[in-house]
Amino acid sequence: MATATDDTLTKVSTEAATELINSFYPALKNDRSSIASFYLPTPTSILFNGNTVADGAAVQDIFLNQMPEAFYEVLSFDCQIINRAYPTTTATGIKPTSEMTVKDMSVLVMASGNVRYGENRDQPARGFSETFVLVPNPSSDRKRRRDWLIQSQNFRLVV
Amino acid sequence: MKTMKSRRSGGDRGGIRKRGPTRTDRDGDMDMDGPGARGGKRGRGGPGRPTGSGSGSGSGSGAGAGRPARSGGDRPQARDKTLEAIQKAISNTRDSQINLRQGKTNAASNLEPFSVRGWKTSKVSSHRDGGVENLVAFLERRMNASTKSGPRARITKSRVEGDSLVVFVRPDLADRMLRLNDSLFAGVHLVVEPYDPSSSATLDRELGTTTGTSPSTADTKSKMTMILSKRYYPDTKLLDLSKLSSDPDLVAMGIFNQTSTESKFFPALMKVWEMGFTNTTQRREAVESVSLAHNQLTAITAVTTLSQTFPDIKNLDLSHNNLKDYRSMNAWRWKFRNLEFLDLTENPFSSEPNFKETMMKWFPKLQTLNNVVVRTPEEIAAQKKTPIPVQAPHFQDDGQIAENFIRAFFTRYDNNRDELVKSVYDHQSEFTLNVNTSAPKAQQTESAGWDPYIKKSRNLLKISHLPARMSRAYKGAEKILELWKGLPQTRHPDMTARPEEYLIECHPVPGLPDPTGQSPTGVGGLMIMTHGKFEESVGGKIETRSFDRTFVIGPGGGMGGIRVINDILCLRAYGGHEAWSPENQAIPYATAPAAVAPVAAPAPLAAPVPAPLAQPGIPQGYGAPAPGKTDAQVQQEQMVAQMSAKSGMTLQFSEMALSGNGWNFDAAWKNFEELKASGNLPATAFLSVA
Repeated sequence: MATATDDTLTKVSTEAATELINSFYPALKNDRSSIASFYLPTPTSILFNGNTVADGAAVQDIFLNQMPEAFYEVLSFDCQIINRAYPTTTATGIKPTSEMTVKDMSVLVMASGNVRYGENRDQPARGFSETFVLVPNPSSDRKRRRDWLIQSQNFRLVV
Repeated sequence: MKTMKSRRSGGDRGGIRKRGPTRTDRDGDMDMDGPGARGGKRGRGGPGRPTGSGSGSGSGSGAGAGRPARSGGDRPQARDKTLEAIQKAISNTRDSQINLRQGKTNAASNLEPFSVRGWKTSKVSSHRDGGVENLVAFLERRMNASTKSGPRARITKSRVEGDSLVVFVRPDLADRMLRLNDSLFAGVHLVVEPYDPSSSATLDRELGTTTGTSPSTADTKSKMTMILSKRYYPDTKLLDLSKLSSDPDLVAMGIFNQTSTESKFFPALMKVWEMGFTNTTQRREAVESVSLAHNQLTAITAVTTLSQTFPDIKNLDLSHNNLKDYRSMNAWRWKFRNLEFLDLTENPFSSEPNFKETMMKWFPKLQTLNNVVVRTPEEIAAQKKTPIPVQAPHFQDDGQIAENFIRAFFTRYDNNRDELVKSVYDHQSEFTLNVNTSAPKAQQTESAGWDPYIKKSRNLLKISHLPARMSRAYKGAEKILELWKGLPQTRHPDMTARPEEYLIECHPVPGLPDPTGQSPTGVGGLMIMTHGKFEESVGGKIETRSFDRTFVIGPGGGMGGIRVINDILCLRAYGGHEAWSPENQAIPYATAPAAVAPVAAPAPLAAPVPAPLAQPGIPQGYGAPAPGKTDAQVQQEQMVAQMSAKSGMTLQFSEMALSGNGWNFDAAWKNFEELKASGNLPATAFLSVA
């Protein structure tokens, strides 16, 4: 693996986080049938207000069948690299070091914002905080694939 | 039957002016049709006035043995008892004092009470709790600042009484407490003196009299008691304080002749009311409705103590006053959280464009505003219920590593950042902070600016240029410490004493960098997500802020064998802690984990597994069904445990092998054998033999 410079690492990680924020929250509102595609097939942990959710398909199911319309507004977010040589597990096992690229990193993302549920505009916006871990998409299927997938997620209403 | 009726009428929705008092006649029978026309504006001695403003009428006393003392026809008797108690208190005999304050005296045995005054006009008085918490913290800090040795000084308990905060401390701290007299707190000088349990002193101060239980105080008190008695309707739980300035008794007392007595009158009236009760629950339950109609109020300043004495009222009539806009009611922004009916008709505020929106925001349970339904009970229920129920924190620790880390963290961050950095941060640790400057607030005060932080904030929404994104990331213990030294001093709540103010969740995380470099496949660790608040002092001013802070910790050379890999902090305006309180939810969810304590702080695991972080054994409950765990999860855990047992790999590696092979056990096993044969599995993949 080539030793990436700090600016490359920062660029890759902040772009990964930005991509998540710009695509995931709109999907929760407008494109709920795409929700499962944001997740690793077997995520480490998915939590919503302390409720454990099994995987992306289950999250999608909840949003499609149980959630009223939801308006999310991210007001601040930031990210850090957790592991700049993340052991990406592909279909053939853990990717050998020799094949790793700068994108084989895990990224911690934290978002802070407002959410309002349902049509009623009189309802006060709630504050939420959400933490994600993003890892590279191990799939070799290049069609319509996302570069980054959610390995863990923790959503909490905080106000 | 009578009891049923009176209870039902008391609990009725629909507000005070519409329904008004339901009264008893001299025989104690209900008069259900009277109130509509007369409610809220009855003069003294009008037809059908309630019994019991005179002391001798015990006519209802025979009714229903099991009835609460304050409902229906029992009222005269109950009031008499109250009066008696107050009179006794005024006469200042030792016995009666004990009688009156029995519960409190017992509870605070061996502790010395002090009264602290002056803080109500401090800069923090606009805080949600009136600044009480800040004041207590300040007093404790100052008591400890005067002596370095000996046990920590603590305020064991405290309560607000009028303009005093009554604090209880150990007798050996009495000197230190008294030394705090005249100290400067948030811009005001405090008065600290031994607490006078007769309460008369407090009342005297409020009424501007100087001597102890002077005849005038006793007189004032009994007159006020009579006035309250005359204006209280126990059947409907209404306290009618409308048209106070034309009350002949009050006029006769000369209350409104001087501005000084006028401003002290209402707090004193509230105090006299409170003195009529020996227990808070009784006091809170006695009144559901208050009318302050027709009082020429231009602001609620003069009557603001109403919210302390009656925090739980459902109906409030403020009609026919002169309240101009929301600012004239600002002090009640976070009060009356159970208010369902509010009448502000005949106030200029009612015609302001944002009137309805503002009031609905301020009072989340408001249903009827100016006699118009603005929310249905169903809507209120729906509003409280979030689409995803709020559960107790998910705290899946590993041998109490996360618990120990987080319990120590905030105290050390407050007191010794230097030591904290050196103990668990290393040259690879990263810290960043971001400020959410427009987060929803829990209080309508102008929040402090973000000056000390904003230039370090790495909110990626706003910081879009790569050089700035790089310079605002702090990597390595040295840089982190340098930054922290420049950030304001903080004070986080004591996690043990105030667990509800934190929400802390934790779960294992695989694939972390191995500091020894031996394992290209990474090591396991823990992710800890915290939410809470802290106080910060900038230039002597105390501000409360909320934060969200996530840590990733892994095995390392720091204290406890760990290191902080990531520390990411989000700062926002104070937002309270109600949002994560599971009890706050309207519907108790059957799936709520019963074993988890309702508090947010990490509860110690029943049987902590003393396993090193990178090589945990099988924690208790792993692979077993548990509340909040899906069947799929249980199955996966069982497969992981099986793989671990068969392969000798750690749980993390076993899980990685399985997840990487679509949870096909045979495929994972084949994969494992291949990797093992080709030497691609690091030593850390295996459970240690020792």
